Amino acid sequence: MSDRLSRRGFLKAAVLAPLLPAFLAACRRADNAKVVNFFNWSNYIGKDTLADFKKKTGVEVRYDLFADEEEMFAKIRAGARGYDLIVVGDYLIPRFQSLNLIDPVPSGALKNMGNLYARYRRPSYDPAETTVPYLWGTTGIAYNKKKLKSPPTSWWDLWDPKYKDRVSMLDNVRDCISVAMQLLKIPQTTRDPQDFQKIRELLVKQKPLVKQYSSSSYLNSLVAGEIDLAMTWSGDLFQAARDNPDLDYVLPKEGTYMWVDCLAMLRGSRHREDTLRLIDFLLEPEVGASIANFVRYPSPNEKAYPLVDASLRKDPRVYPTPAVLKTLSLHHTLDSEQSELWNQTWADVKVA
Amino acid sequence: MTKALSWLLAGRREAATHLLLAPAALWLLFMLVIPALGMVALSFATNGPYGVIQWTFTLENYQRAFHPKYLPVLLRTLGFAGSATAICLLLGYPLAYYLSFRAGKWRNALLVGLMIPFWSSCLVAFYSWMIVLGKEGMLNNVLIHFGFLSQPIGFLYSPFAILLGLVYFYLPFTVLPLYASLEKVPRSYIEAAYDLGASRWTAFFKVTLPLSMPGVIAGCLLTFIPCLGDFLTAEILGGPRYYLLGNLISNQFLMAQDWPFGAALTSLLLVGLVAGLWTYQRWEESL
Amino acid sequence: MKKGKVLSGYIAALYGFLYIPLIVMFVFSFNDARRNVVWRGFTLKWYRVLFNDAELMGAMLSSLELAAAAALLSAGLGLLASYAMVRHKPFTGRRGYAALLNVPLMMPEVALGVGLLSFLVRAGFELDFGALACAHALICLPYTVAAIKARLKSIGDANLEDAAMDLGATEWQAFCKVTFPLAMPAIVSGSLLAFTVSFEDFVTSFFLAPIGVVTMPIKIYSMMKFGVTPEINALSVCLLGATLLLVGLNAWLASRAGDSPLA
Repeated sequence: MSDRLSRRGFLKAAVLAPLLPAFLAACRRADNAKVVNFFNWSNYIGKDTLADFKKKTGVEVRYDLFADEEEMFAKIRAGARGYDLIVVGDYLIPRFQSLNLIDPVPSGALKNMGNLYARYRRPSYDPAETTVPYLWGTTGIAYNKKKLKSPPTSWWDLWDPKYKDRVSMLDNVRDCISVAMQLLKIPQTTRDPQDFQKIRELLVKQKPLVKQYSSSSYLNSLVAGEIDLAMTWSGDLFQAARDNPDLDYVLPKEGTYMWVDCLAMLRGSRHREDTLRLIDFLLEPEVGASIANFVRYPSPNEKAYPLVDASLRKDPRVYPTPAVLKTLSLHHTLDSEQSELWNQTWADVKVA
Repeated sequence: MTKALSWLLAGRREAATHLLLAPAALWLLFMLVIPALGMVALSFATNGPYGVIQWTFTLENYQRAFHPKYLPVLLRTLGFAGSATAICLLLGYPLAYYLSFRAGKWRNALLVGLMIPFWSSCLVAFYSWMIVLGKEGMLNNVLIHFGFLSQPIGFLYSPFAILLGLVYFYLPFTVLPLYASLEKVPRSYIEAAYDLGASRWTAFFKVTLPLSMPGVIAGCLLTFIPCLGDFLTAEILGGPRYYLLGNLISNQFLMAQDWPFGAALTSLLLVGLVAGLWTYQRWEESL
Repeated sequence: MKKGKVLSGYIAALYGFLYIPLIVMFVFSFNDARRNVVWRGFTLKWYRVLFNDAELMGAMLSSLELAAAAALLSAGLGLLASYAMVRHKPFTGRRGYAALLNVPLMMPEVALGVGLLSFLVRAGFELDFGALACAHALICLPYTVAAIKARLKSIGDANLEDAAMDLGATEWQAFCKVTFPLAMPAIVSGSLLAFTVSFEDFVTSFFLAPIGVVTMPIKIYSMMKFGVTPEINALSVCLLGATLLLVGLNAWLASRAGDSPLA
């Protein structure tokens, strides 16, 4: 008796199983409403930003998540379509452009574009201004005040044998190669294979000291005391420092680079008008400030600056002083040949 | 209706066999074979500027794949996958044996209990392990408190952590096939061995173990093969000195943006594994 | 019976090992910290946050639907294929077919994700929940086939079906009354494995997730950068609690009905 029951149940389920996804998909296809599909890091926006946008315009934002920029790029490169707006690091923009994946933001379409600081207009990585700066930050050193006798001052501290197994490096071509170049005083414009040989040697030499190459999970290790010294992106560390007040951030004396995360419209967007409205909304001073307050990254929005929490504004680690700001430069925008050399060098370091 | 079904099940005609094989075959064709062939095609293409693929034929990707610098990665991967499989087998066999021969009314509960830990993300489980094994974690604190240690041990980001991760996540995949094959061992054979004067251990080694070999092999395959390609475990638990094949391949698709080279590595891995599996199947049939 | 005790003790230790992370997860769901790696005091707030978090609940539902669909699909496909492989006359290409069924295990996940996505897009398939479920069914297939094939073989070895047919049953009747009920434990355990594989999968899900679908692993991995909060623990605790409740209920009903639910 029970056999028959379970059999029937199973057969029914087996017949229904293929229909289930279709049914669910049909339920979800309420696409007639106004939506913008936004592909972004988790929590990389203000708490109520999207709800406010909906209240103001009636447009709903579907916020999809990625865990890693390179995975996001690979997904879009492989052909995933339908996202209207993505957040993308400056160094990936030439790659997106070379594959013709970005739909340029038409000039003059955004009334709030003028809210940005002049230095973020027509940047070197995107002179035609096809994308819009969203947030920016610096690359520096995070450390645990309690565990280190003296705070680190230089990138060389990450090479110091006394910190063996207490160091982590960002798992990122751009940042690691740049630091090695800075230490070896090699200009970023180089194409000399010998330079890259030296860079590789320097990074391989550091490898026995490094506990992790990671761009995200190292933050947990820092909070948990597993590592005490890490190459980090500024805002990520400030978020982590909420959970471990012993963590601090320094910009090394050799100087460092800044980077910009940008908003880019993807080719083939079906919601162009509303996407532009969303970008414009994100550029509004109040909105920009609330995002900056939540994610603890500095905003490139000049008009938003006075509205940012004073504690963040007055913190030179978040908003570097004008003197420091002058020394910060964007990463050199690599042409394809250089980018190949960088990638190859980093890949060899990982394999070594 | 039932006549048609009976015809299908009886399999006296080849057409019936083909009909039963067709759905899975279609699945494999569309979801696996065509994408895999796409990978093979890609492996002969050239990686152009900024990783734009150029469809000009080249063997360069394969030449690069045989560079000796990748040999340590391969050996390391085989080592980790092999040891993880061996540990899973050693830990899992007694469990499967217990489930099959001793568990009695607890069997179902234990079987489901084996799967339940995996019904949350492995990342959550990893964070829990981190709380236990971290430098300032529970285990180190206890050991230091009772004076067994003076300095905390760095369990994480070590070969130990990778093995722990692999064993933890693949153990059920070893145990279930083992259990299934132990269930098949006719209890009368074992009793016959006892009647003939065999001790418990003799009966086990002469009867139970040989009869459960198909399960041992299936369990090992279901563990070893995914371990070979695993990249998240090493990515999250392993340190920079434990770079595995799975990381190498996925990095070509992600960070290095060198898809043709990644495709060449993938093709080589597939060819190696399919050849191995094919040989195994011939051997199994010849038994 | 000292030996029996040694074995039982070992089993208890092994389950202890498997359940350590779960116990820690449970305790740390009450942790008053945003990034859940260090204990910062007791709170119930994450459960409150959880019940008001429609996004996370949605992710959980997506994952459950996906895993259920993938488990059922792969069990169905696996049953048909296994039956033909085990019970029918040997067919040409059987070795290749059997080997192919194991290939999803070998394909590096990122390569499969990229390859499958490129193909589906180029072939003009719409990427929807169905496509994602189909891809998950593929990666689950080796597990259901392995379980079901082994069981069908042993049923065949026992000649029970032949006996039924000698007594006048048709093939269909013999299948329904003998083979299928006997194969049920393997179908269930294969489906359980498939469910687990699908529920845990991050890479394939990430590449094939259609717009608006965020599964639990995608959600959790994307939280890695800015902190996986105890809310995730609370959610896992609720899910495990519900599972245990269902399993317990099932066992209780089965013990009343006098037959076992799984084996």
